[in-house]
Amino acid sequence: MIDFLSTFFSSPVMLGALFPALLIAVVTSSMSMMVLAHRLSFLTVGVSHASLAGLGLAVTLSLPLLPTAAVTAVVIALLLALLPKHQGINEDAGTGVLFAGSMALGVILISNANSYEVDLFGLLFGNILTVSEQDTLWISWGSAFVLFSLMIWARSWWSMAFDMVTAKASGIATSRLRLMLYAVVGLTVVMCVKLAGIVLTTGLLVLPAACAWFWGRSMLSLWLLSLSFSIVGTISGLMWSYQYDWPSGASIIVMLCVCFLFSWAGAWLKQIKSR
Amino acid sequence: MNAPVVHLSHVRFGSHKKPILDNLSLEVEAGHFMGIIGPNGAGKSTLLTIIAGLTKPNAGHIDLFGRCLNRKTRQKLQKDLGYLHQAQSNQPDIPLRVYDVVGMGLTSYQSTLFSRFFQDKEQERDMITHALDLVEMTKHQFDDFRNLSGGQQQRVRLARALVRQPKLLLLDEPSAALDSRHQEKLYQLLRKLCDEENMTVLMVEHDIAAITSYVDSVACLNKNIHYHAKKGDTIPDEVWREMYGDHVNIVAHDASCIGCAPVAKHNAHGHHHD
Repeated sequence: MIDFLSTFFSSPVMLGALFPALLIAVVTSSMSMMVLAHRLSFLTVGVSHASLAGLGLAVTLSLPLLPTAAVTAVVIALLLALLPKHQGINEDAGTGVLFAGSMALGVILISNANSYEVDLFGLLFGNILTVSEQDTLWISWGSAFVLFSLMIWARSWWSMAFDMVTAKASGIATSRLRLMLYAVVGLTVVMCVKLAGIVLTTGLLVLPAACAWFWGRSMLSLWLLSLSFSIVGTISGLMWSYQYDWPSGASIIVMLCVCFLFSWAGAWLKQIKSR
Repeated sequence: MNAPVVHLSHVRFGSHKKPILDNLSLEVEAGHFMGIIGPNGAGKSTLLTIIAGLTKPNAGHIDLFGRCLNRKTRQKLQKDLGYLHQAQSNQPDIPLRVYDVVGMGLTSYQSTLFSRFFQDKEQERDMITHALDLVEMTKHQFDDFRNLSGGQQQRVRLARALVRQPKLLLLDEPSAALDSRHQEKLYQLLRKLCDEENMTVLMVEHDIAAITSYVDSVACLNKNIHYHAKKGDTIPDEVWREMYGDHVNIVAHDASCIGCAPVAKHNAHGHHHD
């Protein structure tokens, strides 16, 4: 075990991946509380898949991948926040429409690009091991923005999730903050794409808080638990990936699923005992 | 003379052809406890949402605490306002302690996590404990809100509306989930807050007989205020029939009721039965 750990921590590829992966773990675990509280899981699925359009645009127009995808994701998330309100479309249906439409656009754009320009497997399922210095810088700035937003609005977002009407009556600018929440979720989704890919990103934004949901009793305890599960899942997932040469994103998601199963089983046993 | 806490002038909500509220004017002074009654669809909840700044009327003017309620002033005016809407059927599935739910009602709750470091947490704790005391939920303060009964949850929501010590309290059927003992206690508490704290309370209720000995006046609402009965007033028969229709059967209660005739015979007022 010690041998394995020393090899793992002496691997330059793993060391290079560890910092951005942990940064993403911190950001996603913090945002995952809001995703669960506001029931935005499907939104994260929609935005992550729709970001393929942004990636397609970036490849076609030779723009930087992550910033272009980030702008697209934020625009799509904002559209999803606005559409249902003004056009009378159910949010669920709106997400489905934008998700399918932009993913189709992304597929067309990417299929027209030179195949060597696009790591399709990496886009779909993530590969943190190929993270560049520029990507790390981009992820760091994105994380700083998301964490800063949480420092400012977390309590208002929490209050809105609990009771939107009373939150508005108590003087919270609910419409503006809802838009901000969607935009920040969109940005977080894109940051996860490098680690877990378009297909698996939702896992990072749902599983940490889902594990914590059984045990947390306040915003702070939920956040601490969510953060712990996320960090444990990320480090052990990366180790798993290193040991068996599995894709890093998928390994982390599977590890978080294992955490969820343990957490759920523990909560179930506790409930049986207390009867 | 102090400006009235609530001043509504010619408020209309909905289209001209089918208004939900029409040409409604109302003035309520500080420390006044008003009951609002009316049939389903009369616009009672809409009226409260308009006063709470949640819904914009199509016409008319609203002043709260002597200041015009509009987009610019809304958030500032809402700081002095407590609002309890009708009990929801879909409960939020968020793990929260009762103490934290009540804390959400504090005006300081909306502040950033940075400014939390400089806030007086002791004072916050006292305010939350006091609000929980008022609704007799102190012993449940560390319980999970989701595990409480409907009535207990309603009392916690009321504590959340009271915790900021608002000047104006708007309650939409607050007794809906409460047993009769807690209903009585709720009305007694609201009466006390009006008398001792000079709080103004507007409360939508269906059962006029239950609230009549506590409130200062009862407004009979159906699109507009058909009658505003003060203590000792009698609500005329035609007002009841205009609001609820001809099939209404008016039953007498005691003489202290607002709206009841002092010597009640077959036609005295006080409680309607559809």
